Amino acid sequence: MANNRMLVGFFIASESIFFLMLILAYVNFHGSVTDGPTAVNSLNPVVTGIFSLFLFASSFTIWLAGKSLRNKNHFMLKVWILATIVLGAVFIFGQGLEWSGLLDKNITISRNVFGTTFFTLTGFHGFHVCVGLIMLSLLLGLALAGDFKGPKSDAVECISLYWHFVDGVWVVVFSVIYLWAFL
Amino acid sequence: MENLGGLFNPSSPEMEAMAGLTYYTIALCLVILGIIVIAVAYIIIRYRKKPGDDGEPYQNFGNIKLEIVWTVIPIAMVAVLFLLTCSTMKEVDPPAGDRDPDLVIIGHQWWWEIRYPSSGVSTSNEIHIPAGEKMLVRLESIDVIHDFWVPELGRKIDLVPGHPNYIWLVAGKPGVYLGACAEFCGDQHANMRIRVVAEPEAEFKKWLDGQLAIPRTPTGGIAGEGANLFQTMACMNCHTIRGTAAAARVGPDLTHLADRDTIGAGVLTNTPENLAKWLANPQRYKQGAFMPNMKLSDSEVKSIVAYLEALDEQ
Amino acid sequence: MSSRIPLVPENAVPLPSLKANNGLLSWVSSIDHKQIGIMYLIITLIYFLLGGLEALLIRVQLAHPGNDFLTPELYNQLFTMHGTTMIFFVVMPFLIGVGVYLLPLMIGARDMAFPRLNALSFWLFFFGGILLYYSFFTQSGAPDVGWFAYAPLSEKPFSLNKGPTYWALGLLASGIGSVASGLNNVVTILTMRTPGMTMRRIPLFVWMMLVTSLLLVFVIPIITAAFAMMLLDSILGATFFTPAHGGSAILWQHFFWGFGHPEVYILILPAFGIISEVIPVFSRKPIYGYEFVAASTVAIGLLSLGVWAHHMFAVGLGNAANAYFSLASMLIAIPTGVKVLNWVATMWGGRINFATPMLFGTAFIIEFVVGGLTGVAIASVPIDWVVTDSYFIVAHFHYAIFGGSVFAIFAGVYYWFPKFTGRMLSETLGKWHFWLTVIGFNMTFFIQHFLGVMGMPRRTYTYYDMPYWGSMNLISTIGAMILGLSVLIFVWNILVSLRHGRPAGDNPWNAWTLEWATTSPPAVENFELVPPVRGRRPLWDLAHPDMPDEPGAKTV
Ligand code: HEA
Ligand code: HEA
Ligand code: HEC
Ligand code: CUA
Ligand SMILES: [Cu+2]
Repeated sequence: MANNRMLVGFFIASESIFFLMLILAYVNFHGSVTDGPTAVNSLNPVVTGIFSLFLFASSFTIWLAGKSLRNKNHFMLKVWILATIVLGAVFIFGQGLEWSGLLDKNITISRNVFGTTFFTLTGFHGFHVCVGLIMLSLLLGLALAGDFKGPKSDAVECISLYWHFVDGVWVVVFSVIYLWAFL
Repeated sequence: MENLGGLFNPSSPEMEAMAGLTYYTIALCLVILGIIVIAVAYIIIRYRKKPGDDGEPYQNFGNIKLEIVWTVIPIAMVAVLFLLTCSTMKEVDPPAGDRDPDLVIIGHQWWWEIRYPSSGVSTSNEIHIPAGEKMLVRLESIDVIHDFWVPELGRKIDLVPGHPNYIWLVAGKPGVYLGACAEFCGDQHANMRIRVVAEPEAEFKKWLDGQLAIPRTPTGGIAGEGANLFQTMACMNCHTIRGTAAAARVGPDLTHLADRDTIGAGVLTNTPENLAKWLANPQRYKQGAFMPNMKLSDSEVKSIVAYLEALDEQ
Repeated sequence: MSSRIPLVPENAVPLPSLKANNGLLSWVSSIDHKQIGIMYLIITLIYFLLGGLEALLIRVQLAHPGNDFLTPELYNQLFTMHGTTMIFFVVMPFLIGVGVYLLPLMIGARDMAFPRLNALSFWLFFFGGILLYYSFFTQSGAPDVGWFAYAPLSEKPFSLNKGPTYWALGLLASGIGSVASGLNNVVTILTMRTPGMTMRRIPLFVWMMLVTSLLLVFVIPIITAAFAMMLLDSILGATFFTPAHGGSAILWQHFFWGFGHPEVYILILPAFGIISEVIPVFSRKPIYGYEFVAASTVAIGLLSLGVWAHHMFAVGLGNAANAYFSLASMLIAIPTGVKVLNWVATMWGGRINFATPMLFGTAFIIEFVVGGLTGVAIASVPIDWVVTDSYFIVAHFHYAIFGGSVFAIFAGVYYWFPKFTGRMLSETLGKWHFWLTVIGFNMTFFIQHFLGVMGMPRRTYTYYDMPYWGSMNLISTIGAMILGLSVLIFVWNILVSLRHGRPAGDNPWNAWTLEWATTSPPAVENFELVPPVRGRRPLWDLAHPDMPDEPGAKTV
């Protein structure tokens, strides 16, 4: 049914507005921090950049999963979903490292507006990645149980649409937080 | 006609401009409303179903020319209204350049701190201005958002923490103009009132000089006792009395309290009796205000009243 | 084809039936759009009584200056809860509920596109409301910061109690439910139409619900994000809206009104839709200028996104910004005027049956225009500087919301009640309800225009004893009591007619849209047979095969 994809499309549009607001809040306070931690003096763009590559790569693998489904290649479908999960998990692991590093330096959500906006924005993104990982795991489970014979499945298509969205949000977030600070 | 206040009694050139615009606009609105009411009334009479009206009326689906007409006419009206809006806005709110403010108003929950930067005078809730003179006012807030509104003198303007604003304040002729805080700011938002006292230049100067005087602290009698109490009770943690150690800004500056017309931003008129009532239990008159009930005994109240009244007598 | 566990039920599988297992459980577990719609209507009626009761307490307190019937804290809680309840738990869910009930019927579908999602929306709304009202029973009491909860007043250290937290959580939950409704409606309207029901033939109510639903989808996330930030501020000590720690008080206002202004069109557009159904049927004429009424809705929807700062003219954003927002707001008068004039033109030349729905529909035009015109007046910046945050604004928005949305809701209830229940509402009680509403409403709110320009600020539990203020407020209070009486009559009418109302038959008003082609109340599967759709008024075409609406639509 076209219904499901349309639903997810509008849902993603709605979510985009949500993230747009968080980003606007970040932008609004950018440069208003006069002392204390800021993006420039407390973030490491290289490490986060490398972890970001994992997330970007996972967009590619979920696309390959969809392609395998269309080709009715059930085995590769499972492989690519698994790969996507692993890549996403590595990204989340990287986020966890970054957060714990900041918390160790006593940079928290309540420290100043940089902390507030940074943790909120990356936190909500990370939350969306985790939701995506859960959905992908469900997909994987169903696939292992023999579902998704192809060539089409709304479930696979909708979840990959969502996953691309989560990825796309990170492109913007990464640019706004990291590239803007260091370029 | 009796003075209805507000829009009906504009007392500054700015307010006159805004009232004029409001009247024009309301007149325009009434014309539009009139047309629609008349049309609907005519329809109700002419086209209501009457006994014996059977069958369906002529089925009419629309008319493009009419649609264009009733799109274009409102566009023209909106254009006129918008131009008037812009010109009035300019008239009411001319840019201040880099002039220093004549007056600084700082909003507190729930009273107004009034400062005259050039002379250093500080008072509360009552604003003295020379009639006919344009005062540039800077507005700040120390806690939440408040809004300065004196209906007969002009526009509203918010006092936003972290975002100072400026307006012009003018009173055409001498008089007392009442106002109030217009942005909801908590429990006692209703009792955060303003008095603007506009007086002729000479009187204003006199008032200013009076405010500048630093009173001597009385030493003997009950007033002297009051002075002691004031310094030993917690009063001085919150209030300022110039010439003494009390210099806090949590509550209003009390140096020339006796000069003011009201107590507690308008809840009581300022008489010694009312002052005593206020001191005995401010919460009774302004529940939730940030001046606690100090649990003073009657004699303590009496001496503090005597002290506060004595401050202004010199 | 797809997974064994279908994410959505196939349309061919019959939905659980209401008749099959009656009782409370069948309601709780229902995913039938009609049952869910009815639940929305019942719950919103209860909230309407609660919100109205709060309003009456407010009016009693204001009956004369210096009254001490309520404490300041309680007064502040009451107007906050009144505004929040009426907007988020009465008008908005009522319109969503009517939409949920009628959309599938009007487009000839058997249910919403996502029946389970539909139930989820309802229950989020339901529990959101409970969360909000639960605050009354906590130690710290209900929220008392106004329905737009301006920061920093709504945050620590100025609000140490938990009221605003309940407020944000309750609205967050029901807001997510509304987004889900919006998504569901959009997909339903775009994909579930019966053959022949093209987008140029759907009833205008469906058009308006489509635009409203798009607004839900695109503007609720704004406030969802803002609520999240507010909750982070209050629970984790973030500093978004606390100026003392580098945050911004004005940012909250941008977020709130960025949502809040489109929200008022969410409240009025479906009401316009109801009116666009009622007026033609009772005038016995097709809607005048269908395309223009539909297109103006889209224009209003788009314009509404760019006008939010007209609620912030006194904040000090600078005259350039003020001028922009002023112009954009005034422009909304143009598409709205197109609608109003098309309704009037629809009535013109008709053979009008002034049954209760039409009485409310006609009064709606006048009352709403009053509210709309004062809206255009306050869109002019200097006028807003005079009247903002005064009772003039209270008058403006009650004319727009009560005189607009609520009058339309009453019209809709009298119009569709026969379809929902199979019985007519009493016309006699309906007329009493109507006239008392008109009298009470205008008496309550018209005089507030004058109070506002004379200097009475809103949200004050007491006021100066200035000339006439006491008596004017008393008049307003008496008006509110009359309004309260009218509401009681309305409720009485519903209760009595449910049992003893005249049986309605399928199509008591001789109307033309598809919901009237089925039984009253409709069977679980909605239609036995959807009539062919060849024009905008399928039932007209059936009854008048000699002069169908289309083709060759006559434009005179
Ligand atoms: C159903 C709800 C509803 C509707 C439909 C409207 C409609 C409009 N509103 Fe209103 N408004 C509110 C609900 C609504 N409002 C609420 C709840 C608040 C207060 C919130 C709060 O502070 O608590 C508010 C506050 C509010 C303010 C802020 C006031 C302040 O706080 O200082 C402004 C300012 O511009 C405004 C403007 C408008 C305008 C321009 C319209 C326009 O859409 C009106 C358009 C309609 C017409 C104009 C009538 C028909 C047109 C014609 C007959 C054509 C000819 C007309 C002309 C050429 C003028 N509204
Ligand atoms: C849909 C929106 C809506 C509706 C329908 C109403 C309806 C009413 N409103 Fe409301 N109002 C708002 C939205 C609405 N209001 C908003 C958004 C605010 C701003 C809040 C804020 O500032 O934060 C506001 C503020 C507001 C104020 C200003 C308070 C202040 O600023 O201090 C006043 C004062 O008169 C008022 C009055 C009324 C009255 C008398 C009704 C009447 O029409 C009500 C009629 C209904 C009844 C009278 C119910 C009848 C029921 C009974 C008689 C018995 C009940 C029985 C049981 C519960 C068992 N409202
Ligand atoms: C915790 C702080 C605090 C303490 C202690 C305190 N006050 Fe106050 N006082 C206030 C505040 C705040 C106000 C303003 C109340 C309002 O109008 O909302 C005020 C108002 C007043 C006023 C009215 C001033 C005016 O301009 O209207 C008087 C007089 C006064 N205080 C005297 C005293 C005396 C005398 C004492 C000691 C016995 C005292 N206060 C102790 C905070 C305090
Ligand atoms: Cu200060 Cu309201
Ligand atoms: Cu608005």
